[in-house]
Amino acid sequence: MKRIEELNLPMAVRYAEDHEWVRSAESTVIIGISDYAQDQLGDITYVELPAVGDSFERGDEFGTLESVKAVSELFMPMGGRVVAVNEDLGETPGLINEDPYGRGWIVEIEPSDVREMDALMDARTYREMLRGFE
Amino acid sequence: MKRTPLFERHTSDGASMKEFRGWDMPLWYPSGAVAEHRAVIAHAGLFDTSHMSVVEIKGPGAFNLLQKCFTRDLRACVGGRKDPLIPGRSAFGAYLNEAGWVVDDTVVYQIDSQVYVSIVNAGMGETIASHLIGHADGEQVEVTDLTGRVGKIDLQGPASAKILMKVLDNPLQVLQDMEYFAFKGHFAGEEPYARTFLTDGTPILLSRTGYTGEFGFEMLASPDRLPGVWHMLLELGRDLGLVPCGLAARDSLRAGAVLPLSQQDIGPWPFVNHPWPYALPYNADKSAFTKTFVGDDALKNSENAEFTYAMVGFDPRKVSIHDPARVMDEEGREIGLVLTCVADMAIGLHGGRIYGMTGPDRPRDFTPKGLMCGFVKVKIPLAPGRTVELRDEKRSIKAVIVEDVRPNRTARLPMSEML
Repeated sequence: MKRIEELNLPMAVRYAEDHEWVRSAESTVIIGISDYAQDQLGDITYVELPAVGDSFERGDEFGTLESVKAVSELFMPMGGRVVAVNEDLGETPGLINEDPYGRGWIVEIEPSDVREMDALMDARTYREMLRGFE
Repeated sequence: MKRTPLFERHTSDGASMKEFRGWDMPLWYPSGAVAEHRAVIAHAGLFDTSHMSVVEIKGPGAFNLLQKCFTRDLRACVGGRKDPLIPGRSAFGAYLNEAGWVVDDTVVYQIDSQVYVSIVNAGMGETIASHLIGHADGEQVEVTDLTGRVGKIDLQGPASAKILMKVLDNPLQVLQDMEYFAFKGHFAGEEPYARTFLTDGTPILLSRTGYTGEFGFEMLASPDRLPGVWHMLLELGRDLGLVPCGLAARDSLRAGAVLPLSQQDIGPWPFVNHPWPYALPYNADKSAFTKTFVGDDALKNSENAEFTYAMVGFDPRKVSIHDPARVMDEEGREIGLVLTCVADMAIGLHGGRIYGMTGPDRPRDFTPKGLMCGFVKVKIPLAPGRTVELRDEKRSIKAVIVEDVRPNRTARLPMSEML
């Protein structure tokens, strides 16, 4: 596993306690999982994604990630309606391991309340939380 | 937790470490378990298997003791012709208790007419040594648990022989006539049988066996020589695609090759009705055993024993055997438990058939998406092709009962094709 100081935790995204990240686009937000999460899970082998148009509340399960180790649920860091899913993950789920903040993004949603973003952590706070797990 | 002689190397190479039966072992390296699994199919992988135990059985009564406790007939267990075990040959089987339950599985190596070495699983050295001593009944035999006194490295994959050509002393002489389940040399330099050496002078027991279903070797050596051997193999094997591999890849490779994990797929239940009849001393028409052994009566009278089958899914999705996962028939009745559930990431479905990533007949542009596979133990017999449902606390997955999983395995290919 990576040591906490080795983790790539960009400042440009915000982090949820369940290790999802959120990045603002124009009127939407993009969601993925953090470098810490992908490192803990190991190679992702299969992704179950929601359908475009599905609506979720903050904290709802919206899909699963199958890794060589186990299956893990994905939880919505913010409520909203799915406007796009990363179709490339069907063919190449390993994109989540290779590039968790870029080509390994998972869904794009139209948030129901952008203020929910404020409850998420910045990179420094998230790294502090992870230190607490060690 | 116990550490192998390679522990420091694993951690400095960035391996993710995990506890396995009391040992702190690499689960995968930074390249990841999928890349490691695929490297063994296409090139080669290096595994630290020093957590396994080695037991030596020595003396005039060694043959009789093994003939009594081991599930293979030493007079008929080599090759398709069922020749007797001889020095330089090994055989896979198990040790059972009187109830016919598996105490552990093992590969027994015959070193000399009165000397055998039995490789058993992690933490089982003491258990098996006392099991054997308990059945010695006045035989003149010495049983020694060598746990911690022998290191072990497995080199697995089609490039293995080419890599050994670079590290063995007199490589062609050692390798060219080496058949499946043949071995040479000894791990203890002071032994008269130590006649196989690496270029750095390390005496090794080199065995053409493994736990991946692929062509390859297991190497036993003194623990103090192990870090040097590991380093040399990785350095000289790199240009042939050799990568270090962890326990995750080992588990997925062996499941795709339909090989059992002791205490998980075989264990405290009768050792019958399973995909490993070759581990029992059956006669030609499988109507009887060719010898008597500890546990045989229980196996003969096991009408109510459950059935163990290999199974494969339709994609890499798994269930958790820790929940535990149950097996349901088509009508939704619970018929058993899932023993092993992993994903073989070197295979995939195409037109209803399983193809391997290196299969010569694979479809154009075939990329393996991986298939869940493993073993189930059920109360009723199931024919190959039967569909079952695997259910854990989170999900239900369909699987098919099969006789084999990963095609095009290389373990038995002739040495002449691999050099």
